[in-house]
Amino acid sequence: MSGFDAGGSQLDTSWFLLLAAVLFILGTIGVLIRRNPLVILICIELMLNAANLTLVAFSRQLQNLDGQLFALMSMTVAAAEAVVGLAILVDIFRHRDAEDIDDLSELKG
Amino acid sequence: MAIAIFFIAAAMAVAGGIGVVSFRQPIRSVLSLVVVMIALSVLFLLLSAQFIFVAQIIVYAGAVMVLFLFVIALLGPAKEIAKSRLRFQASLSALFVLALFGLLWAMLQGVTYRQPDKTADMSIFGTVQSIGLGLFTKFLYPFELTSLLLLVAAIGAIYLSRKEGDDR
Repeated sequence: MSGFDAGGSQLDTSWFLLLAAVLFILGTIGVLIRRNPLVILICIELMLNAANLTLVAFSRQLQNLDGQLFALMSMTVAAAEAVVGLAILVDIFRHRDAEDIDDLSELKG
Repeated sequence: MAIAIFFIAAAMAVAGGIGVVSFRQPIRSVLSLVVVMIALSVLFLLLSAQFIFVAQIIVYAGAVMVLFLFVIALLGPAKEIAKSRLRFQASLSALFVLALFGLLWAMLQGVTYRQPDKTADMSIFGTVQSIGLGLFTKFLYPFELTSLLLLVAAIGAIYLSRKEGDDR
């Protein structure tokens, strides 16, 4: 049992890592089985959030601020990714209806 | 007390995550993701990351999610067709996800964490002051690179969403 003190009670780092694993898995399920391109982007955001949670949890465990700064950087990257992904989606939807991600298969070699 | 807060926030996050995956309408998925993000921001506060907590609420739950909502409002309520063309996709992905979760679970069993090299002053850990100090000294180069990344993303988004034949 290895943890840290939070307001008088002992919290275990493993709990945070397990929760992050569960959220990451949920995001993976969403990316794999959902058909709507928009929902797939949302699920990618969920996975990025889970990764952020592990970064901050390790930052607290090691009492090193670098993890929190990494989390800040990954937040920026996630915002940029969402903006470009949504712009591409809007552009695709303007030309045609793409309710299924498998409709967008022209780029495959 | 902290343990109770952790489990309430964790239950909220997992419920929201299940909602993201299982709701048929995209708008409900987005609103579930907002629930997940708020629950995660509470956990960040438990991990004494005050600045990340504020950034999570403002940047994620505020800006990014509103962007998603605008796009859904723009595209109209597209309901998802439940029928998939790939027959084995659901079962194969269930198998893959189970394997991935088993891997992550196995990694967490009996893990011992490295103890902190030097104990930090917890009274200022994760405050705006300490984050700003790290961001502008040790992480100055990555910080400047993110500004370039955001500029590229903004120009790319404007270019992609311009009107057809509008080449001004």
